[in-house]
Amino acid sequence: MRRLPWWAGGILMAMLLLGTFSIFGANRPLGASTYVPYFAGVLFDLDPQKYEYLKKIENPGAWEGVMLLGALFGGFITSVFITKSFRISLIPTAWKKYKNNSVTSRLLWSFFAGFFMIIGARMAGGCTSGHFLSGMSQGAISSMIFGAVVIISLVITGRIFYKTGDK
Amino acid sequence: MQDLIDRLLNIFHVVETQNHGSLMLVFMIGILFGGIIQYSRVDKFEKIAGFAMLKDTIVPKMLFLAIGIASIGLYFMIKAGYAHYHVKPIILGGLIVGGTLFGISMAILGKCPGTGPISIAEGRIDVLVGAIGGLLGGLVFDIKYDFFKKIIGENIGKTTITDLFKGHEDLTILIFGIALIAISILIPKLEEFDEADLAQLEEDIKDIQNAKLA
Repeated sequence: MRRLPWWAGGILMAMLLLGTFSIFGANRPLGASTYVPYFAGVLFDLDPQKYEYLKKIENPGAWEGVMLLGALFGGFITSVFITKSFRISLIPTAWKKYKNNSVTSRLLWSFFAGFFMIIGARMAGGCTSGHFLSGMSQGAISSMIFGAVVIISLVITGRIFYKTGDK
Repeated sequence: MQDLIDRLLNIFHVVETQNHGSLMLVFMIGILFGGIIQYSRVDKFEKIAGFAMLKDTIVPKMLFLAIGIASIGLYFMIKAGYAHYHVKPIILGGLIVGGTLFGISMAILGKCPGTGPISIAEGRIDVLVGAIGGLLGGLVFDIKYDFFKKIIGENIGKTTITDLFKGHEDLTILIFGIALIAISILIPKLEEFDEADLAQLEEDIKDIQNAKLA
């Protein structure tokens, strides 16, 4: 089988989440955006003593950094041996279909979307993993507000940004 | 250069000394995280941007199912003392402004911070460029934190849904979890495929052909 059905993926993700939360696991939630400003601090040699935010995120940032290193490895192995989807590409198929065929356009939009995505996630205190998965599983109101705002702005942007009308 | 290597190695040291699992365990959690997402194919642009265009619903179906199951499981695990709450605070400015920026960016990039690295791992150069943008975004956030802190606003509490229904906590969480699972099943299944992948997905091709015949 080259792909897990959505329900199998959902059940496995729930198990992983519970295992991570458990005191026999990591005794913390899954998160995947704190590592970015943390890694920026490491890469550009910012002194955590001088930057309040870096001091705050040192522990979760490093934890998520190692977790995402595992995700890179797990994703690579799975894409090469199971899904066989590994290939070098510059423009996604649906971008060609609903946006344009320009490499420059795709790369520029990707760059700016990546830039604002991390700023947005850090302002909200989490992303799809930290808020949506981990936060809503705890019934957190903050995460429900985040989830609602994200889904609304995601769908509105999808409508405006892409040419989705019947062609 | 040596400095940078030392700083990178220090990451492992920070993980080992913080009591949230051994280095190996954290790495294993990552492998499973990457493996599940990759194997379900929800890291794909067609799935995430496809959801933004309302042409694909695999991502919300999988997400709602996962949190439906996990919310019930986690609540009873915490009650039994096998896990703890780690609730994020309600910070209205941060959640609304940050969430809006995040949603817009997610529709355009077609990834989020967790699925991005997994996409890079399968060879997507455009996402790697997005990650460089993200790294600079992180740098700006680190340096200009005082500015962002003003927009983020006051922490007005770490309320959870069970706090709103005191005395009926068990029932509240059961209804919450079952409702999320029901939503995941009820969302109509729509799929946007990447033609470059279709050769690998024999069963999906049959689905598409059946849909065309119908």
